[in-house]
Amino acid sequence: MRLVGVGKRYVKYEDAPMLVTRLAGLRTRTRRSSLWAIRNVDFELQRGDVLGVIGRNGSGKSTLLRMLAGVTAPTEGTVMVRGRVAPLISVGVGFHPELTGRENVYVNGTILGLSRQEVDRRFDEVVDFAEIPAFIDTPVKFYSSGMFVRLGFAVAVLAEPDVLLVDEVLAVGDIAFQLKCYDRMQQIRDRGTTIVVVSHNLNAVRLLCPRVMVVHDGAVRFDGAAEEALALYHDLLGPQPDEAATIDEERAAEVEEFLLLGADGSDSSTFSSGEEVRIRLSVRFLEPVNGVVFGISLVSEEGVPVYSDSTNWEGTGTFSTGQRAVFEAGFRLSVPTGSYTVGVGLRRADRPVSLARTPRPRMIYVAGRHTVNGAADLGARFRVADHAGPDEAV
Amino acid sequence: MSGAFFELSGETGRLRLLLADTWKSRSLLWMLARKDFFVRYRRASLGVFWAAGLPLLQLIVLAVVFSRVVRIHSQVNYVTLVFAGLVPWTFFSTALASASTAIVDGADLSTKVYFPRAVLPLVSVGSAAYGLGINVVLLVAVAAFEGVPIRASFLLLVPAAALVGLLTAAFALVLSALHVYFRDVRYVVQAAMAVWFYATPVFYPFRLAQSHGLAGLLSVNPMAGVVQVFRAAVTGTDGALGLPLWWTGGWIAALFLAAALLYRRYDRVFVDLL
Repeated sequence: MRLVGVGKRYVKYEDAPMLVTRLAGLRTRTRRSSLWAIRNVDFELQRGDVLGVIGRNGSGKSTLLRMLAGVTAPTEGTVMVRGRVAPLISVGVGFHPELTGRENVYVNGTILGLSRQEVDRRFDEVVDFAEIPAFIDTPVKFYSSGMFVRLGFAVAVLAEPDVLLVDEVLAVGDIAFQLKCYDRMQQIRDRGTTIVVVSHNLNAVRLLCPRVMVVHDGAVRFDGAAEEALALYHDLLGPQPDEAATIDEERAAEVEEFLLLGADGSDSSTFSSGEEVRIRLSVRFLEPVNGVVFGISLVSEEGVPVYSDSTNWEGTGTFSTGQRAVFEAGFRLSVPTGSYTVGVGLRRADRPVSLARTPRPRMIYVAGRHTVNGAADLGARFRVADHAGPDEAV
Repeated sequence: MSGAFFELSGETGRLRLLLADTWKSRSLLWMLARKDFFVRYRRASLGVFWAAGLPLLQLIVLAVVFSRVVRIHSQVNYVTLVFAGLVPWTFFSTALASASTAIVDGADLSTKVYFPRAVLPLVSVGSAAYGLGINVVLLVAVAAFEGVPIRASFLLLVPAAALVGLLTAAFALVLSALHVYFRDVRYVVQAAMAVWFYATPVFYPFRLAQSHGLAGLLSVNPMAGVVQVFRAAVTGTDGALGLPLWWTGGWIAALFLAAALLYRRYDRVFVDLL
């Protein structure tokens, strides 16, 4: 698979094109504007390569995937793909809603270029993998989204395609199925299938893809090692939309540095669950201040406040003009896998006014155990008690 | 189907590759067409009987209205004459109603995996072809029931069905491509069908137009040639076959040419507008 200088431009019509005026041959100037969804993409993938693509909504990653699938042609440049490309698997797989699961398997198999006999041969395996034997003869419009995705994934790997394109599919389905998908993808990768994964689920990308591409504003910003890509992605995500500034700001101080220190004492954007982290805020005071409240917050990707805390409300310390101070807050990151934002704030103790311009929150990524779900990782220790004998730790 | 290799540079495709891909997709086409036909009647308790029942009902209405009320005179059996027109017309209008929106309606599938977009309108035509098959058999039964002698000319029904299939496919390809850009096409088709029905010798013999000096005008309608071939098979043509048939052939050639140009340019970019 090779892409050379690939770009895709969409033309947006300001007015709907009018059949009548076209027919009448009237030269009505249709106002239109064009937009490059993505430009200057060059990369090459060999058999068995796995590439992750991350980027915000509207960054151009879906357009890129569509071009790889051959569904849409590039406006400039060349897309070359050798081998059989599986359908783009995503939440709305290419299924006909009125057809049953069984019929859709056959239709998709045929689209992939398999003969009826070949589909027959692999049919049981597909149903087995999708875990829907009871519903295989039900029209897929009655399927739950989980069943839909399971069948979609099963069908896509059915043909043992040379290229597998995965779009956000891993966000759906329970953990057990996700793990099963990872295993399956690793299997087919080992057999030489090239895989491209597009996802917001950074954990999935990190697990699956040694190589990650960051797409931002229609351009490839980075293409390389996963860790670096994730860190860059977090930097690009800001500035976050201001969470409605609730209190006034004044310029009594200036934040010089906002660091997140991991267990090894260096600034980082990725941590592991349960790691001891320290928020460090270096501040220079521009006028004398008596009493400062230092607050921190941790918000999940979905915008759910996970934790917030502050120094006591009487405030700490007295500072004079030009004085520098370092505020630190250390805590244990006992949260499950995911992206979070860390926010900080400095407030006067005597009135509800922000002392300094609040630095923009930092995005972090926490990698944790697969089994954990929910807002916090409270670190359960499991054991199975055997009535016949003494307790045994599992 | 997705070929074993593809190379895309620029939005305009190569016609030869496109034709080859479309040809390779024929098993997909028939599978989808068969599904489409049976799914349509799946949830109806009378099932595919509706495919035969609706044209029969329409036949009864037309036969009663035009032989008893309006009193169109015909030397041949009127019921058979009407049904010979109604069978291709029903196919043509039902197939185009669904085919003209087929590319837009097929977005679920076509945004996920590549196959030549021409497959989608052709599936609608193929699906309607099942109904055509049933109705052609029904036509022979109606003719026998009405006491029309079953002659060797009935074999002409096979090329007649092929001809209407070709004409419908040609219209389907062009209209469905236009509908992606001009969403008015669906309504234009609906409106055109209402008028077109009367401009086609369905419930009247071709001779009626001849006697009013309108034979030349009527022949321009490609469906007139089609209906005349059906009549030639069953009841005779009133001597008008050559001229309308030339027009039908001309329409088919012109539409397929237009389709080739449209799909060469837009096959890989239809998706952008879905």
